[in-house]
Amino acid sequence: MALALPIIVTMGALVFYPLAVTLWDSLHRVDPMRPGTPFIGLRHYIDLVADENVRQATWNTLVYVAIAVLLETVGGVAAALLLSSVKHGRKWLLAAVVLPWALPPVVNALVWLWIYNPSYGVLNALARTAGLIADNQVWFNDRPAALVLIALVHVWRMLPLTAVIVLAALQSVPGELYEAAWIDGAGPVRSFFSVTLPLISGGLAIALTQSTVFAFNLFDEAWILNGTSRDTRTLLVQVYMSAFQNLHFSYGMALSALVMFVSLAVSLFYILRIQRTTEFG
Amino acid sequence: MRRFAHPAWWLRLVGVALLLLWSLGPIYWAVVSSFTLPTDLTVRELHLLPPHPTLMHYQNLLGAVSSFQGVVTQSVWPLFSRALLNSTVTALASTVVTVAIAALGGYAFARMRFPGRRALFGLVIATMAIPAYTVMIPLYRLLVALRLVDTYVGITLIYVSAFLPLALWLMRSIYETMPRSLEEAAWLDGAGRLHTLLRVVLPIASPGLIAAAILTFLSAWGQFMVPLVFSPTLRTKPLTVLIPEFVTKNYVDYGLMNAAGVLAILPPLLLVAFLNRYLVSGLMAGAGK
Amino acid sequence: MKFRAMLLALSALAALASAPVRADDAKPYAGQAITVLLPPWGTLPKTMTDRFHAATGIDVTIQTLGWDDIHAKILTSMVAGSAPADVTEVDWSWVGQFGSAGWYLPLQDKIDAKVIEDVASSKIFRADGKLIGMPYSNDFRVLIVNKALLAKAGVAAPPTTMDELLAAARAVKAKASVAYPIALPLSPSEGTATAWYLLTKAFGGDLFSADNKPLFTTPDSAGYKALAWEIGALKDGLIDPASTGLTDVQVQEFFKNGQAAIDLAGWVGNLAVYNDAGKSKVAGDAVAALMPSAVGKSRSFGLPEALGVPANSQHQGAAVAFIAWWMQPENQIEAYNTLGDLPTSTAVLKTLNEQGKLASGSVLLQQIPTVEPLFANGTPGWYPQFSSAASGAINQAAKGQLTVAQAVAQIAKEAKQAMSQ
Repeated sequence: MALALPIIVTMGALVFYPLAVTLWDSLHRVDPMRPGTPFIGLRHYIDLVADENVRQATWNTLVYVAIAVLLETVGGVAAALLLSSVKHGRKWLLAAVVLPWALPPVVNALVWLWIYNPSYGVLNALARTAGLIADNQVWFNDRPAALVLIALVHVWRMLPLTAVIVLAALQSVPGELYEAAWIDGAGPVRSFFSVTLPLISGGLAIALTQSTVFAFNLFDEAWILNGTSRDTRTLLVQVYMSAFQNLHFSYGMALSALVMFVSLAVSLFYILRIQRTTEFG
Repeated sequence: MRRFAHPAWWLRLVGVALLLLWSLGPIYWAVVSSFTLPTDLTVRELHLLPPHPTLMHYQNLLGAVSSFQGVVTQSVWPLFSRALLNSTVTALASTVVTVAIAALGGYAFARMRFPGRRALFGLVIATMAIPAYTVMIPLYRLLVALRLVDTYVGITLIYVSAFLPLALWLMRSIYETMPRSLEEAAWLDGAGRLHTLLRVVLPIASPGLIAAAILTFLSAWGQFMVPLVFSPTLRTKPLTVLIPEFVTKNYVDYGLMNAAGVLAILPPLLLVAFLNRYLVSGLMAGAGK
Repeated sequence: MKFRAMLLALSALAALASAPVRADDAKPYAGQAITVLLPPWGTLPKTMTDRFHAATGIDVTIQTLGWDDIHAKILTSMVAGSAPADVTEVDWSWVGQFGSAGWYLPLQDKIDAKVIEDVASSKIFRADGKLIGMPYSNDFRVLIVNKALLAKAGVAAPPTTMDELLAAARAVKAKASVAYPIALPLSPSEGTATAWYLLTKAFGGDLFSADNKPLFTTPDSAGYKALAWEIGALKDGLIDPASTGLTDVQVQEFFKNGQAAIDLAGWVGNLAVYNDAGKSKVAGDAVAALMPSAVGKSRSFGLPEALGVPANSQHQGAAVAFIAWWMQPENQIEAYNTLGDLPTSTAVLKTLNEQGKLASGSVLLQQIPTVEPLFANGTPGWYPQFSSAASGAINQAAKGQLTVAQAVAQIAKEAKQAMSQ
C-alpha cells in the first residue's frame, strides 16, 4: 500500500484536484486582472455556445480528428503490414518509421513550415516541377487546403504510433491461421480481411483511441503553422488564447471542461469496445 | 510465418522506398537547408543538395558572436546552452522520478492486494484520457500559489503527473507476465518484500524499465505547450520553446531556423537510432494490454 | 555521458570567464547581470552591448522575441509573479492593461527629470501619474516609397490621395515589372491591425466615438472604406497573396529587396535601415512622403515603445541604469542607424535633422504635428483583445472567407465582447 501512496498523492494533487477546480471555477468569473471571483452559474457555457470563435475551433478540431484518424489508421496498418513482411534490416526501417514520432512536435511543425513556404518551400517547388501547379501557391489562403496540410503534419508525427501498435498485434497472429487460409484458397487480400483484421482488432481499437485523443489535443502544429488564424484554430489553441492572451481564465476553463467531456465520451466508446473484444479473445 | 500471403517483392520495395521517403524526407530537407547559404535558399529552383555548403547558421547558434539582419550581435550560445540544459534537466528528472514511482507502484498494483486496487488503477489510467488543457489553468494557478512556476521542481511535477499513467501501465503489465516462482523462492529464503523487489524482480523487468524510461524521456523532451506556459524565462525554458522564438525573431533567416531545428532533433534521433530495440518493445508491451 | 561532461566543462569555463568585478562608486552595479526582453528591433549590436558593459560593469543579455509573442510572455510571467526579464518592452498599447495591474516600477523619480521632459512621448506611458516606461522608439507611420521604381513607372511624385496611390501601384505593376507593388501585412498580427487603423485615418475617420462606440460598421464610414480599399487592392493583384501569412516585418523585407515599391504603413525609423547599403538592396531610393488622405488632410498616429522594469525584478538598480544609458544621445543615434529605432529625444531629433542625418527629415518634421495617439484618453485595457480580433477578421476577409461587411460587423461584435469582459 505504501508503494502505491506516492502515485495517489501525485495524481491526486496534480490531476484530480485541478480537474475539480476547473469544473468549480468554470461556474465563476475568474480573471487575474480583476478582483473577486463571483459566482455566475452556467453563463460561461451559454456564452461558449454562442461564441463564433468556439464554433469555428470546434469545426476545425473535428476536421482534424477525422482526417488524422483516417490517415493514421490506413497508413499505419499499411506500414505495419509492410514492416512485418520485411526480414532484412527491419530494425533500421523501424527506426526510420519511428523517428517522426520521437522528435519534438514543435520542431516537426517548423520543418514542415519551411516545406510549405509559398515562395521558397519544397512543396511548391516539387509541385511545379511535376507540372501539378502553374505557379507558387499560397496554400494557407485556402481553408480546406490549410486544414489538410496541418492535419498532414500531425499524421506524419502520429502514424508511427499506430504502425507500432498494429505491428505488435500482427506479431501475435499465429502463422498456422494463414496456412489454413492459403490451403482454403484465399489470396492475400481475402486472408487480410478474414484472418488478420479480426485478430488485430484489439490493437486497432487502442490505436484508434490514441489517434483520436491526440488529434483532439492538437496544438503545436496549428500554432506554429498558422498562428491564431481562425480558420485553422483548434479548441486547445482557443483555450490558450482565452486564458493566456485575453486573461479570461474561467472562460478558458469552461471551454476545456466542455471539450474534456466530449473527448472522454469518445474514449469511453472505444474502451467499451475493447472490453467487449478482449472479453472474447 | 507469413510465407503464404506474400505480396510481390517489387511491391514491397516500392512500399519501403515510399515509407522511407515519407518518414525521412522532411528531416533530410531540414538538414540540407541548415547547411545552405541564405542566398541559395531564396531561389525558385529546387536543389537537393546545398549548392554552396556553409556552416554559418550553426556558427550563429553556437559561436562567439551571432548576426541579426546584417548586424553583428552578441552570441546566442548562452541562451541556447541554457535551454539545452533546461531540456536535459527536466527530461532526466521527470524520467527518473516517473520510472522510480512506476517501478514501485506498478509492483504494488500487480502483486499486492489492497482495497480499491482495481478502481484506483483504473482511475489513474483514466487520467490519460483527460486532455492536458483541462487541468492546465488551475494547475497554473496552483503552481503560482506554491511559487513553483519557472522552477525545475514545478515542471518535473507536471511531467510526472502526465507520464506516470503510461509508465505505470507498462510496468504493471510486465510484472503480471513474470512468473511468481522467483519471488516465492526469494521469500522462502527469508528476503523481505522490498528486498525481493529490488534484487530479484527489477533486474528481470529491466527491459521494461528502460522502455518506460525512453518513452518518458522522449515525451518530456518534446513538450511545448506546458513549458510555454510554465517556463516563461530562461531559468527553465527548454529548447522546444526557444527554437520557435528564433523563428519569430529571425523571420526570414530560414537557414538559422532549420539549423536550430536540427540541433533539437539530435538527442531524440540518437536515442531512436541506438536504443531502438527497447523503445519498440516498450511501445509494443504497452500496446499488448 | 560524454555530452554531459562537455556541458559541465562548458559551464565551468563560463563561470571562470565571468568572474565578479569589484563594484566601485562609478559603477555601483558592476558585476550584476541583467536580462532584457525586446522585439527584433531591439537586438543591439555587439559593439553597443560591449560598450554598456565597459561603462557600467553590468553584464547584459538581450533576448529577442517576435513582437506578438512578447505580450503573451510578459502576461504569463507577471501573472505567475515572476519577472520575464529585468528590462522589458512596454508597448503603448499595453499601458492600460499593465498600468492598472501595477506590474511595472514607476520611473519618474529614477530617471533624470530633464531627460523625461525631453522625450515628448513619455506622456503616453503614464498610468495614474506613474511613468511605467521610458520610450526608446518614436515610431509613427508615414508613407515610404521607392522613388526609383516610381520613376521607372512614370510616377513623378509620391501619391497624396488614396486613388493616386492605387494608380501609382498599378503603374509600377505594369511598367516597372513589380508583381506586387504594395507591401501590407494581412496575417492575424498587430501590424495588420495598426495598418488598418492608419488607413481609417486616411479616409478621414476614427475607430471609436468618445464613448467607445464603433464607428466603422456602416459602408460610408472611414473604417469600412479602409478595409474595402485593402481588399480591393489585394484582389487587383497589387498586394502579394502570401501576405495573409506574413507579419509587418516580413513584408518589409519585400521592400528591402525591391520586390515592393510602396511600404504603406511605413515605420518612420525604417528609413535608416532601408537606406543602409549593408542591409537593403534599395539603399538610396527609399523616401518618405506624407500619409495620403482621401479627405485632404494627412493624419498619422504614434506607436511608441518603451523600456520598463518589472516591479519584481531582482536587479532594479542595474535595470534602470540600462534604461538611462539607452537614453543617452549617442546611443539613441546608434540605435537609429543600426536598427531603425527613431530617437525619442526631441533634442536628438533636432540635431540629426540639422546635420542632415535624419532620412527624409523635412517630410518627417511635416508629419510629426499630425501624429496623434490612437486613444486620446489613454489606451484602454481591452485594446489587446480588440486588436487581435481586428487583425483576425481582416485576415479572414483577405482570404475571402468574410466579406468586408461581415468583417467589420465581426470586429464590432468582438470589440463589444472585449469591453464587457
